[in-house]
Amino acid sequence: MKIINCPLNGPRNAQEFVHGGEFVAMPDPHRTSDSDWAGFVFLENNTAGVVREWWCHVPTAYWFIAERDTIKDEFIRTFDPSEIFRERVEFTRPEATKS
Amino acid sequence: MLNPSVVPARSFLYRELQKRGAALGEVNGYGCAMRIGSDAAAEDAQARSLGLCDLTPLKRIGFKGWATAEWLIGQGATLEDAPNRVYPQDDGARIARLSKGEFVILGDLHLRSTLPDRLGIAWSINNASGCFRVPREDASAWLCLSGEHAGAMFAKVCGIDMRPQHFANNQIAQTSLARMNAIIMRNDRGATLAFDLVFDLASAVYLWNALLDAMTEFDGKPVGLEAVRGLG
Amino acid sequence: MTRMTSRLAEPFGSLIDRAKPITFSFEGRSVQGFAGDTIASALLASNITMISRSFKYHRPRGPMTMAGQDGNTLVQIGPEPNRLADRVAIKEGLVVKGLNYWGSLERDYFALLGLFDRFLPVGFYYKAFYKPRWLWPFWEAVIRRVAGLGKVDVHAHHGYFDKEYLFCDVLVVGGGPAGLEAALKAAETAGEVILVDENASLGGSLNYARFDEVGARARVERDRLIAALDARPNIRVMTDTVCNGAYADNWYPLVKANRLYKLRAKTAVFATGSYEQPLTFRNNDLPGVMLGSAAQRLIKLYAVRPGQRAVVVAANDDAYGVALDLLDAGVEVACVTDLRADPPPAPLSAALLKRHVPVIAGVTVYEAEASAGGRGVCAVRLAKVTSEGIAQIMGDRFVCDLIAVSTGYAPTSPLISQAGGTFGYDEASAMLAIRSLPADVVAAGSVNGAYALDAALEDGRHAGWQAMRSQRLAAGDEPRLSAEKGARGITWPFPIFSHPRGKNFVDFDEDISVKDFEHAMLEGFEHVELLKRFTTNGMGPSQGRASSMPAIRLAARHAKRTIDETGTTTSRPPVTQVKIGHLAGRSFDPVRYTAMHFRHLEAGARMMSAGLWLRPEFYGDPKQRAALITAEAKNVRENVGLIDVSTLGGLDVRGPDAAEFLNRMYTFAYAKQPIGRSRYVLMTDQAGVIIDDGVACRFHNDWFYVTATTSGVDAVYRSMLWYNAQWRLKVDITNVTAAYAGVNLAGPNARKVLEKLCKDADLSKDAFPYMGVREATVAGIKALLLRVGFVGELGYEIHVPASRGEALWDALMIAGKEFGIRAFGVEAQRVLRLEKGHIIVSQDTDGLTTPWEADMAWAIAKTKPFFVGQRSLEIQAKQKFARKLVGFEITDRAQAVPKECHLVIRGTEITGRVTSIADSTSLGKIIGMAYVAADQSEPGTTIDIRVDGGAMVKATVVKMPFYDPDAARQEL
Repeated sequence: MKIINCPLNGPRNAQEFVHGGEFVAMPDPHRTSDSDWAGFVFLENNTAGVVREWWCHVPTAYWFIAERDTIKDEFIRTFDPSEIFRERVEFTRPEATKS
Repeated sequence: MLNPSVVPARSFLYRELQKRGAALGEVNGYGCAMRIGSDAAAEDAQARSLGLCDLTPLKRIGFKGWATAEWLIGQGATLEDAPNRVYPQDDGARIARLSKGEFVILGDLHLRSTLPDRLGIAWSINNASGCFRVPREDASAWLCLSGEHAGAMFAKVCGIDMRPQHFANNQIAQTSLARMNAIIMRNDRGATLAFDLVFDLASAVYLWNALLDAMTEFDGKPVGLEAVRGLG
Repeated sequence: MTRMTSRLAEPFGSLIDRAKPITFSFEGRSVQGFAGDTIASALLASNITMISRSFKYHRPRGPMTMAGQDGNTLVQIGPEPNRLADRVAIKEGLVVKGLNYWGSLERDYFALLGLFDRFLPVGFYYKAFYKPRWLWPFWEAVIRRVAGLGKVDVHAHHGYFDKEYLFCDVLVVGGGPAGLEAALKAAETAGEVILVDENASLGGSLNYARFDEVGARARVERDRLIAALDARPNIRVMTDTVCNGAYADNWYPLVKANRLYKLRAKTAVFATGSYEQPLTFRNNDLPGVMLGSAAQRLIKLYAVRPGQRAVVVAANDDAYGVALDLLDAGVEVACVTDLRADPPPAPLSAALLKRHVPVIAGVTVYEAEASAGGRGVCAVRLAKVTSEGIAQIMGDRFVCDLIAVSTGYAPTSPLISQAGGTFGYDEASAMLAIRSLPADVVAAGSVNGAYALDAALEDGRHAGWQAMRSQRLAAGDEPRLSAEKGARGITWPFPIFSHPRGKNFVDFDEDISVKDFEHAMLEGFEHVELLKRFTTNGMGPSQGRASSMPAIRLAARHAKRTIDETGTTTSRPPVTQVKIGHLAGRSFDPVRYTAMHFRHLEAGARMMSAGLWLRPEFYGDPKQRAALITAEAKNVRENVGLIDVSTLGGLDVRGPDAAEFLNRMYTFAYAKQPIGRSRYVLMTDQAGVIIDDGVACRFHNDWFYVTATTSGVDAVYRSMLWYNAQWRLKVDITNVTAAYAGVNLAGPNARKVLEKLCKDADLSKDAFPYMGVREATVAGIKALLLRVGFVGELGYEIHVPASRGEALWDALMIAGKEFGIRAFGVEAQRVLRLEKGHIIVSQDTDGLTTPWEADMAWAIAKTKPFFVGQRSLEIQAKQKFARKLVGFEITDRAQAVPKECHLVIRGTEITGRVTSIADSTSLGKIIGMAYVAADQSEPGTTIDIRVDGGAMVKATVVKMPFYDPDAARQEL
């Protein structure tokens, strides 16, 4: 069983984690085409190589981001999402931006 | 002997304890197993060898949120930054720091520490911005596993190396224990190796029996609160 | 010739204790052995050479490796099939039987199958029996009976199997000379070393092989190593322990007796040694044909003389050691036939020459002649080796009852391969050799090409040093490695000889002979992986340890390619047989009880699983199930009922952004929700599919208590944390499901009951209306009160700390007595909520259901800037949807009653399915929900539901709710 290095809890058996899917930025839902939105919802990049993924340490419900080489099946780096998400995210509808 | 049905608060384990001949006494509004069986000396020795004790009746409280550490320090708690560590307090309480912003505060075995109650009274959603109460006293069962074989016994239920030379006193592992999420804290009592287990109250009967089964190999048995108090 | 194998005197028999005789039974006969004997050694000591019959032709078989590496010794022990007789130690009273016979092991009626082998080529079963299809079950039963293997006793007592985690710095697999040296070296600085060996005794080949003329060195080396080991307390020795696979990041299953250890090592050293390889000639499977090492094990470990008169087949100097050992054990050695035309001078062959044993060079065994009934060997005929795999029969015939074969080795590669190491073919040694190893994996000894004893010892020390280095521990100077490893000239490159009359077996497990490979390759199964699957070579109990290399050599020759070009098959765990008990082990099945669990049991509840929880399905005798459910539901409608809803998920969402957060997570709007009110929550995923629902209760501007479904709450909680890890709102989410015990007190008398116990809240309709929420005290317990209407009557959900749940339940049952209170279970609740047309997420919705389909457009806020699933729902709203969730009723009582999942059919088309159905006593008709085609969703439409047996039942689409459409009762 693989070991995953949780930024909060340290190295743990992979059994303690769930995979949360590819790390993909959500397009602005009100300013993107229907087909681009469908692509975001339904398509996976499935990259062979180094990818970013969401992982969750289940006993602590702690989410983090991992960089993993899908060819070698090796974790390269894991880190807290606050490295990427530093600020409060706001949503606006297009009509709201006009005013 | 106390009839548990006359007190409002009930550990999920009181029937299991009664089955094993526990003498219940009132602790904190609960029926608490003070002694199990009639041979106190043997029970004390059991706690030093391998004993399992239900501490669910004792005081505990939880807090969580981005400003919780500051709030706790403001209330007189002593803390450091490292998560997954237990920080013993002057009054005998122990503050377990589970992450940057999540804490469980365990009272002492003799109900002398006042910190859990003081924090409970001091906190209100109106006066503790960024700090939120977690009802650990209601959501979590609390067991103490004590004795020299405790570290080895964990190998049968847990994928982390809990042997004393590999898992330091006051270290915390939040992990899977017999396929359940649990917080395992090493809190030695006196000179005796001891672990506090804090986990989902609803699974208390399941985990209690799973642990006792794993303990059989080491002649582990349930013990009452007095036996654990006696460890120091 | 009669076989007179018997016990030898000491010092032979290092494993047995002659002072402890043990009696067991074999095929109904009483057999005596000694403590330390395996079943096979005890049988051979008692002149029983035939232990089982083969899988396909039912040919008599005896031990070939005496090391648990072949399938010839599979026996049935009591209720347990397929145990290895040369691995299992005897115990008093053990009941052992052979396998694969009909009648008795001695007289097997199916043994005649061997006469028809030319009609039973590989692939025969696939080809002969698959048509006509309907006859297959008949043939399958026949084939299974003939093909056999053991019998499982389904009534057998279940043993106590369990699992344990282990941790170490260095794992050493294999306790032979190299493994011992590696463990000793690594233990100099590594903290914890675990040394695992599948045998009863450490030492590997030092226990049985011969390294010098007088045969003294093995003992000396073993004693030295064991003494050094005893002085190292940081080495944990695990004998009789199989390392049964290699998994990612140095994770290893170790099987010892009834325990499966799951070991995590920092570094692994594989000193797994090598398999001595059999030679393929006609009748090479007879009892009495064995590996040279097997004969040596019998002599040295068990003090069993393996025969009276032996022919030794050699292709290396070790074979001469076998001959010397046989002589020492009092076996007459008729001759040594050496496949090599010109054997080079070597110490052991030189020693044998002094003992006047004839050595015939350039010659192999052409065939073994069977004694009566094929139960043993009576003679060999020899042949001159003329070219690769071809030998010309000679006149020579030697009478003998033992053929000991030492013609080559193959590295014990499976664990290294599984760990990610690679092997390639080394032409010079005619063996596979390691090409690469992953980090933190080290190989030592003969598996690493170090065959000579000195080379193996050196290589072990070097491997221990490498293991320390891989952990950056102080390791000292690199130990010396000699260039000469002794790998060359010990393995015959093509140990497979054709014979016009066949029976020259390559795979003993599955009775696969040379012609089977030839046929398979002629049919086009040339690739090794295809060849393996078509012939089933290497797929039996011995997993190709003896048959894999010969198969590759045959395939390479057939295709005129090199071994590397031909390739090897992939090794996968487990390495050897594994018991289901080890996998099942002491299984952990967490189960969650509510605070009132024991009260339900005391009231006679039938419990059902809801995720990990147990919930009362109904209360009372299962024979009265339907009547009890009806009565429970009726009591809610007419008096008052009490149901335990503690399993419902509960989440505290708190902070200045709590309302904003709910706005984003759920479809409805929460910003303006008043304090003291609850509001329905519906959660969709980004695709707009319904994934959960519940209510959000606002107790404070910054505090919502949000309920979620029993099975959905963990995923909802995790998903909330995930979104807020990105949004960074000032909100905290806490899963408080287990903290609260909850009940729903429902029915026209609910208020009267509650008023008796709750004095600090005004429970009147105006002060505490439908959808109101309050903090109050009930029976002296601090509680959250929620006026909700899931079952459609006046009702209060009461949530209290879980430790107080039992006390609350007791108080309500007592207070409610005068008002006809009765506990009701999940089934009654399902009927009641169906009457109200409330969906249950994941029962009435599936992985595609959108709020549009479920007719829940009312729950979608129109003007919010964002919620999860919003964009997808907007896109879907512009499209036509194919199906709709509707209510239906069946009034014609003469029709069969459909069940959940019965299909809605229109013509030849499936347009939907029933998701919920119940016989509603309140309404006097069958009601249900179903998916139907969008154009069938108008009330009044007749739909056809296909029930069990194929009959069509007519139902009518109706508007929901079925019961109390004006909601007058729940808003009382």
